[in-house]
Amino acid sequence: MRNSSFVKFFIVILVFAVCAFLAYNEVKNDNIRTGIDIRGGVSAILEPDIPDNSLTAEQITKGLESAKVILDKRLESKQIYDGSVTIDTVGKRINVDIPWAAGETNFDPQDTIDELGKTALLTFQEVDVNMVDEYGRFLPTGKIVLQGTQVKDAYPGTDNNNKWIVALELDPSGAESFAEATGRLVGKPIAIYMDNDMISAPRVDSKITGGSAIITGQFTSKEAADLAATIRSGSLPFRLVAAKVDSISPQLGQGALDVAVNAGIVGFILVCLFMLLVYRMPGLLANIGLFGLVVLTILSVAWTGISITLPGIGGIILAIGMGVDANAVIFERIKEELRDGKTFRSAVDTGFNRAFSAVLDSNVTTLITAVVLYVMGSGPIKGFALTLGIGVGISFLTAVTATKAMLQAVTGVEFAKNKWLYGVK
Amino acid sequence: MFNFDFIKHKKIFFSISIILIVIGIVFYFINGLNFDVQFSGGTRILIETNSEIDINKAGDLVEAALGKSVITQMLQTYNPENASQKIYMLRLDIAGEEALNEHERNLVNDIIAENFDVKENGNQEVLSVEPSIGRETMTDGLKATLIASVLIVLYVTWRFSAMSGFSAAITALVALLHDVLIVFALYTVFQLPINEVFISAALTILGYSINDTIVIYDRIRENSKLMKKHTLEEIVNASINQSLTRTLNTAVTTLLTITTLYVFAAANNITSLMEFSLPLIIGFIAGIYSTIFIASPLWLMWRNASMKKTLKKA
Repeated sequence: MRNSSFVKFFIVILVFAVCAFLAYNEVKNDNIRTGIDIRGGVSAILEPDIPDNSLTAEQITKGLESAKVILDKRLESKQIYDGSVTIDTVGKRINVDIPWAAGETNFDPQDTIDELGKTALLTFQEVDVNMVDEYGRFLPTGKIVLQGTQVKDAYPGTDNNNKWIVALELDPSGAESFAEATGRLVGKPIAIYMDNDMISAPRVDSKITGGSAIITGQFTSKEAADLAATIRSGSLPFRLVAAKVDSISPQLGQGALDVAVNAGIVGFILVCLFMLLVYRMPGLLANIGLFGLVVLTILSVAWTGISITLPGIGGIILAIGMGVDANAVIFERIKEELRDGKTFRSAVDTGFNRAFSAVLDSNVTTLITAVVLYVMGSGPIKGFALTLGIGVGISFLTAVTATKAMLQAVTGVEFAKNKWLYGVK
Repeated sequence: MFNFDFIKHKKIFFSISIILIVIGIVFYFINGLNFDVQFSGGTRILIETNSEIDINKAGDLVEAALGKSVITQMLQTYNPENASQKIYMLRLDIAGEEALNEHERNLVNDIIAENFDVKENGNQEVLSVEPSIGRETMTDGLKATLIASVLIVLYVTWRFSAMSGFSAAITALVALLHDVLIVFALYTVFQLPINEVFISAALTILGYSINDTIVIYDRIRENSKLMKKHTLEEIVNASINQSLTRTLNTAVTTLLTITTLYVFAAANNITSLMEFSLPLIIGFIAGIYSTIFIASPLWLMWRNASMKKTLKKA
């Protein structure tokens, strides 16, 4: 019995030590992702601009999904590889986070977001060759030949002469209307518009049937790729409007994080000292348990790739606070049992058992809150709920298993059978 | 062991809370709430300068150029690259339904750069937001909190059936509402800005407070079985007293951490962290107070009242 307790004790210590080592490595290698509010960058919310009730919820969701694909591609084409585009299914909008690249100076956040949001209505229109603007571009006539949504795919390629082209694939309805229009407009241009901006105006060489078309021109490979990407974005049934653009300087965010981490370390030491002073030996073990809680939280954040935001730090603080509380509840119970004259071993066992319901219920209620906030909340609320949920889970485990195992082991040792060590007179 | 009659003095404790809450409400009608740009909508621009600048002049110049009202503030904040040097930031808030357009933003930048000692390639931040976004975050949060409350009521009603769960659940929620209203008073009296940081802080307070209350309820639940021969008053009093050391110890550790965060943030002028930790300090104190002085005494009143009813009926 005593031996198995000791085995447990050392397993706990060993697990924590290994985790501490791993967590240290994760921190050293900068594997903790931080949110835009800390590392700096641009955080934007793009909202679909939809006239009331013109689209069903399902259409909006599908549209947002294709918008995400398009935005991801656009970020890539801007050589932004660690940006993130997420769909907020609750609020029916898209969050775009773009961290600052190292050494970035000439970066206009609003511009970037505006450009990204330009995944707008794409149309192929019949034009009047006499109606041009000052740059010689055809003005939109509103005679729509093809909707962007009727384009299944568009991709760059080369023709037999090794010239860059853009190939189009149309859906059946698009193929039909395109065949009709191209048959009528041979020799005339059809202009491609993004909103009201003309992007390209290829001339119709012959009637195009069968649903695949080729746009030729004096393209470079990049121009062809850009045009293809733009046409692909035409399957989006709505425009995206930036409802919020927040650009945060990396230096200021870093400053806030540094200060928060320093305060966290000092606060943690103060809590440990307090626990040691008030609860003595169990306090020492609780401190080991709290250390484990912190280390495991760092590891789970690093391994799941969650971005830590300022609200997220709030969630972690609350979880650690609840871990401390669980220990306080348990140790007070143990003290009571000792005062009642129980032996150390049985005081620890009954103390844990009696405190268990309180710790369980308080953790479950908090977990309920965290889950609901995560599912229903958006933005900062989600970040808070996520770390709180993870933290509470870990805190419950460390408080009722790790600390318990260590205490049980210690009660088997002769020198530990001293009431003073438990803070009982 | 410490033994205090919490029930006997409940009127005093209730009064203290009610006075604070009423003050908060009165100030709400006098001052309203100070919604940050995140909720009111508009544009916030931060520009780094080399030193403190005349913010009134800056505000006047920008107001004249834009024809919109501008609130200016000078921030000095922690420089992570050189702790002995501060970063000076000029903050311009232009509230309004419409965010500034590109032209207007450039205009602001140009005016400040022409007239003041702006740091070259310095830090710059822009926030432009439509009011609907902030409001939605707030309503999403409120909706989520409401649903979470309903689930908590169900859970507590089930788990605490020994102390007729529903009454316990409702009085726990009243205690939460109490904490929220006390924090609300802090915001109306001192006109603290209401922004996203506030939402996180409010949620943290709710989480802490419910945890705190549940532990005492657990003791009442247990004592209801152990102290069958005692009156409810005695049971509640004993439960509060028995858990008091724990409640206070937890309070000390939590406040220790949060106060450390506040002191560090204040010493380095990190606004976001100060805005987060200050309501937490007040909210946690309110939470501890409501756990000890409000939740259980209120539950007892409810029980006594409903028992009288049953007696009358019989």
